[in-house]
Amino acid sequence: MPGIFIFSEDTALAKQLLTPALELKQALAQPVTALTLSEDSAKELAALGADKAVFLQSASAWPEGLSQAIHGLIAGAGGSVFLVGGTLRGKHVAAHVAAKLNAAMTTDAKSLKIAEGKLLATRLLYAGLALCDEELALPAAVTIPPRTFLPPNAAANAGAVETVKADADPRVAISDVVQGGGTGVDIAAASKLVAVGRGFRNRGDLKLAEDLAAALRGEVACSRPVAEDEHWLPLERYIGISGHTVKPDLYVAVGISGQVQHVVGARESKVIVAVNNDEHAPIFESADYGIVGDLYEVLPLLTAAVRKNGGR
Amino acid sequence: MNFQLTEEQQLIEQSAREFAKEYLDPIVVRLDQMGEFPREVVKELANHDFLGLQLSAEAGGAGAGFVAYVAVIEALSRSCAAVASIVNNQAMVSYSIEAWGSDAQKKQYLPKLLDGELIGAFALYEHGPAPGIGPDALIATKRENCYVLKGVKAYVRNAAEAGVFVVFAVTDAQDPKSLTAFLVNANTGGLKVREKQSTMGLRGCSVADVVFEDVALPGSAVLGTVKAGSEITGRVLALASVAEAAQTVGIGQAAVEHAAAYSKQRVQFGRPVGTFQAVQTLLAETATDCHLARLGLRHVAQLVEDGKPFEAEAAMVKSFLARVGSKMLIDTCQVEGGMGFSEAMPLPRLYRDIAGTTLLDTPADFPDYAIAAAIV
Amino acid sequence: MPRCLVCYKWTLDEKDIKIKPDDLSLDTARAKGKISDFDRNAIEEAASLVERHGGVAHALTYGTPAVKQSLKDALSRGPESVYWIADNSAETADGFVTANVLAAAIRKLGPYDLILCGEGSSDLFNQQTAVRIATLLGLPCISFVQKITIEGDTIKATRKLADTTEVATVKGPAVLSVLGTINHPRIPSLKQVLAAAKKPNQEIKIPELGLAPECLQPRAVRKSVRGFAAKRKKITYKETSAAANVANLAGSLAAEGLC
Repeated sequence: MPGIFIFSEDTALAKQLLTPALELKQALAQPVTALTLSEDSAKELAALGADKAVFLQSASAWPEGLSQAIHGLIAGAGGSVFLVGGTLRGKHVAAHVAAKLNAAMTTDAKSLKIAEGKLLATRLLYAGLALCDEELALPAAVTIPPRTFLPPNAAANAGAVETVKADADPRVAISDVVQGGGTGVDIAAASKLVAVGRGFRNRGDLKLAEDLAAALRGEVACSRPVAEDEHWLPLERYIGISGHTVKPDLYVAVGISGQVQHVVGARESKVIVAVNNDEHAPIFESADYGIVGDLYEVLPLLTAAVRKNGGR
Repeated sequence: MNFQLTEEQQLIEQSAREFAKEYLDPIVVRLDQMGEFPREVVKELANHDFLGLQLSAEAGGAGAGFVAYVAVIEALSRSCAAVASIVNNQAMVSYSIEAWGSDAQKKQYLPKLLDGELIGAFALYEHGPAPGIGPDALIATKRENCYVLKGVKAYVRNAAEAGVFVVFAVTDAQDPKSLTAFLVNANTGGLKVREKQSTMGLRGCSVADVVFEDVALPGSAVLGTVKAGSEITGRVLALASVAEAAQTVGIGQAAVEHAAAYSKQRVQFGRPVGTFQAVQTLLAETATDCHLARLGLRHVAQLVEDGKPFEAEAAMVKSFLARVGSKMLIDTCQVEGGMGFSEAMPLPRLYRDIAGTTLLDTPADFPDYAIAAAIV
Repeated sequence: MPRCLVCYKWTLDEKDIKIKPDDLSLDTARAKGKISDFDRNAIEEAASLVERHGGVAHALTYGTPAVKQSLKDALSRGPESVYWIADNSAETADGFVTANVLAAAIRKLGPYDLILCGEGSSDLFNQQTAVRIATLLGLPCISFVQKITIEGDTIKATRKLADTTEVATVKGPAVLSVLGTINHPRIPSLKQVLAAAKKPNQEIKIPELGLAPECLQPRAVRKSVRGFAAKRKKITYKETSAAANVANLAGSLAAEGLC
């Protein structure tokens, strides 16, 4: 019986994949199998509604090297849809499996649904300039970016958990693994962001943005020049076409002119606010609310107003 | 007939644009404000073969031809016309040596000019009405087996950095037709470059007077033959004027692109100003002038490459640009309104630069004269 | 002395694409072609590796007939020859078709020590070609590479993933996809541009690849493309009093449940 398979080396992301997977289950009447790299992960996914969760037990923890084993499981079961967490590792695994299955593959899908036995997905083209609807014949692989979906609630009945021995690709040896290098802040996970741009005169003035971010219980991010040219903030806080793409509930762009290379990283935020002393700055075209004014005057007042309303 | 650049020419133009983006855009504002010679950029120009572009391969150049040269000058000028001026003045010197130099002179100077190790300057104009006339006129007096030069050359571009000058001097104070070209090393005794002048635009390209106080030159310093000076200046200035037209077109193109982008963003009375007819007219006229000038310019460059007569057509393009050059900048500044007046924007610098490229170095300073001479 | 093959795509320059305001359709009439951004990095990497270690670098491209415009451009950037496949199937080719064609071409061209691709194309950015090609050819693939070192027939590649770097070591032949941060592509000097005309190029026709017809049918089909248009409220407060503006904004944010 064909089935829907999900995989991510990141458990939190795998849980998010369950949500579209369970929708596809309704549409295709096929079971959902989660493939994981840890036993705990398998149990959690089974508890959230996967009909089966398979822990691939292997000597190597390198996800990419398990692509062949993953393909074996999917092909063996006649997989129809393979949903993969859209990290770079996930994209590698998905492409390997897709090649072996002679299957369609699409990356960074913003939405997906089944129509007439095919998978319909939407994604961006031309560096964010355009949206495209694609129709994928089954079987198909789809990678989904983090935070596109929320994880489902716990299921009434947990699925089965299995362990399977998996052989890793012996040809590639991995060494010198270095994690982080950052301060551990995950800009993309924040629900509120205050982004700073060239409107700030010195590094010390960023405190005004930090105060506002704290009052909002959010994080500080920045445009490219602040990170790459001025080095006032680390690159991991930089939002833009070659930095992070974020979708917070609230994005406050302060002293940012609003060039498309920056805006494309934040334009799916639920609400965008701009503060800029140039009323012709393009950012106002991309914002829901804006204040034309001096950020040095506006920010302290805004922070006070937020605190009064019950922020910190 | 084909108005398109060949594939090679397109790739060369593409390289010039990438070069301009990488090396010129970051320095253009500082260059305009400080006027310092961009030595590193000139080295990179040499590394990318831009300094010998149109020279033949035998002379050590890239042999890419004059059409490619003109396309490169336009591409560089879209970012920084001052650097294009440096390149053009350098090219005037290396071309003069390639065309009229002895083997010894070519060997001595061309490799270093192509490498950017040596900067060249073309010293023709004087404060008097014409070379050889007036109190400071540069006279080359023949002594036994050398020439002694005395006088002052004016408005010499690249003067402050030049290692070699092509100097034009009359050997007979009474006979303007005795104009002779000499190659003079900058460190020759008696040669002094005066203080750099502050110019309206093209401010990375130095301009200064050069004083000759009994500068003694061997006979081997003559470029070409004695009294061949007018032939040399005629040809070199005609070619330089085509390159200058390319600079003007490049500047105009930069201006119209900037103003067009601005007019899409700037909103007044509820719509982008680019939707108002008055603004559309200003942009359309500038774009038209630029486009037609470019077509004329490409045609002239092709005539040069084909070895056909081109002076009248070159004068037509120059004359057309002299009329519309400043207008292009006046109009695009108007499109941008207050922003067009702000030095935080490129338009004021482009306005000043285009004044330089439209008014200097026309063939014999009388383009209409040259045109009439060709058709009457 | 590695034999390198670098695959590149000739794409429309997205800077030149306009969105028609009335129906949001794309106007590509004036869009010029370019070698896809990260493929330039791949070509540069191949050229530098050959400059450092000896060996040879060839380029391979599959595209519509417009791909012929790319040949001298590619050759001016380092490879000593370019193989090209120009076919209308490229217009609608998805990752499945593209990888089938390129893998078949690579099988035909003979063994290479190192096959390089960009991490994704600048137009579609599907990020799958390199891994697909490797899988079809049965070769190991190291993706998202920031640095390549070659020691004899061993390839050491530093990968940069979201917050991790790791070194993958593999014996060639292997397929690698490179990130834009791996190098800074050279600006071709004029001599390199002019020399490109003298370098060989060779067409490969699709029938020569011996592909079954279904291998040329895309399995992901583009149904519609439209410009991305954000719908924002664009409410701007520009009173002279900052306090008044802030009060208005705070009110709006409270109404949105955001503060």
